[in-house]
Amino acid sequence: MSELKKLWALTMRHTKCYFKDKFLFFVSLLTPMILLVLFVTFLRTVYIDSFNGIFRMFDFEAAPQTVNGLAGSWLLSSVISVCAVTVAVCSNAVMIQDKIDGTVNDFRTAPVGGVTLSLSYFVANFLVTLIVMLVALAIGFVYLAIVGWCLSFVNVLLILADTLCCVLFGTLLANLCESFIHTQGALSALSSLVSGLYGFICGAYMPLSQFDEGVRNFLCVLPGTYGVGIMRNHFMQGYVQELGRQGLSQQGQDQLLRSFDAHIYFGDTQMPLWSMYVILLGTCALLLCGYIAMVLLQHRKYVRSRQKG
Amino acid sequence: MTIQITDLCKAYKGLQAVDHLSFEVREGELFAFLGVNGAGKSTTINIISGILPKDSGTVKVCGYDIGTHADSVKPKLGIVFQSSVADKNLTVLDNFKSRAALYGISGKGLLRRLDELDELLGLGDILKRPVCKLSGGQRRRVDIARALLHRPELLILDEPTTGLDPQTRSAVWSAIDNLRRQHGLTVFLTTHYMEEASISDYVVILDGGKKVAEGTPHDLKTAYATDVVRLYSHTQQAVELLSDRYHVKSERDFADIEVGSTAQATQLILQYPQLFDDYEVLKGDMDSVFLHVVGKNIGGDMV
Repeated sequence: MSELKKLWALTMRHTKCYFKDKFLFFVSLLTPMILLVLFVTFLRTVYIDSFNGIFRMFDFEAAPQTVNGLAGSWLLSSVISVCAVTVAVCSNAVMIQDKIDGTVNDFRTAPVGGVTLSLSYFVANFLVTLIVMLVALAIGFVYLAIVGWCLSFVNVLLILADTLCCVLFGTLLANLCESFIHTQGALSALSSLVSGLYGFICGAYMPLSQFDEGVRNFLCVLPGTYGVGIMRNHFMQGYVQELGRQGLSQQGQDQLLRSFDAHIYFGDTQMPLWSMYVILLGTCALLLCGYIAMVLLQHRKYVRSRQKG
Repeated sequence: MTIQITDLCKAYKGLQAVDHLSFEVREGELFAFLGVNGAGKSTTINIISGILPKDSGTVKVCGYDIGTHADSVKPKLGIVFQSSVADKNLTVLDNFKSRAALYGISGKGLLRRLDELDELLGLGDILKRPVCKLSGGQRRRVDIARALLHRPELLILDEPTTGLDPQTRSAVWSAIDNLRRQHGLTVFLTTHYMEEASISDYVVILDGGKKVAEGTPHDLKTAYATDVVRLYSHTQQAVELLSDRYHVKSERDFADIEVGSTAQATQLILQYPQLFDDYEVLKGDMDSVFLHVVGKNIGGDMV
């Protein structure tokens, strides 16, 4: 039997274990939902005021439904890009639990390679996070449809692709860190740390334009910022085009995109959209190489120690 | 030989868990591996099954060196761990499916195998139930079935009946017995129940990582166990009289007089016929063997 079939069997087992534990799934889905509700409840009016402030600078008055939708889409882009990482970190609970209760040892007595076993946890974590994020995204789209929908089919497809990229980034980051974790306590600590910190250091909670130049440049060095950036571009695109149709000048559209991070500036240079993808996917490639190297090293160390004596 | 262990050593952070251990397990044998908690039993099992690396020595399982040919050993090995590793939220069938897939068993092959295991262990009515909803005995049967899915040559049972009620223990043992008789399976057992050890073919007793005794239960009883003459309706004078020459343990209903052998028991009774109206001679059991060899009972209490 090929290792690929074993990888699939193990991945399905981890994924089933995750979704059969209703509490785990509920908590994972709760994270983006709470964030969305908090954003909408407390920050929506702040951002609507900011949008209107920019519109006033260009002597323009937007349709309320478009502004509401724009605020909702901006907030949703924050939620999805942040939670792709935080949910990935939390949803690796099956791997940690398997280490704690000895199930990993049981797998080691079966004819399955150590590399296959490690990869199965990674793939399962990716699938679980993707499913949770797609459910969250669907709920977010329903919200946008209620407050004001201006996204094209292409925008939706691109947002799905962006979600895939962010989930890949989050899963790789989570698996690299969590390979060294062996207790639920350590996983909880890491989850709390990432949940509290990540939203700020990727510029999701506040637009980068509101930070000092030094902090802004520092955040622009971090790859997570570009995950948020690509998401903002595709979430805001349809709304900005609609505002253009309603009469907002090109300059006004650019100002809006710059102020709300769809256009990211490193120093005075605007980062083109393709460069954001290159940075994010390049980081994913580097993380993947690092992860594979770590798995191979761990496996080689294990085999050598077994052959010792 | 199914297992050949020579001069095996393993230490953790300065603590010698297994110390120059050597023994053999023959094909089709029920082999009992005894020792108090921390004696090195689980460490040895983990080395045999390829989970833990050894520090030195050789371990051959089914003819292959576990250090260099672990991949050849794994398909021949089935393990039931001390605590169940079945996924509690999944159904029994899902557990079997995901485990069998690792051995290339799926579809009709798996169904055929499940039929065989159902006959052996009675799984039919629990296949579609989540493991968390099963009783302790049912879970243990699932663990054993899970370990047997791929028809292993060697079944390692690490305290398989600990915590089970006597009826369930008996059901588990009847299943294991069937397996041995019908399929010639070699069973490597660790247990805290001496009555289980006494029905095995060969016993190794471990203490502090070292082998302290080995042999068939009969050999061990002959070498280490003490026969006891149990005297009922005893008087204080009788106890005092016998205490001079024998070790006597007096209880409310009876007094146990330790004698070296059955011949010595006969001698004692003939010497004091007036004391022995109501009595029985009890042959030394595996508890007595363990007590004499290790100096503490299997629960770890010093005696």
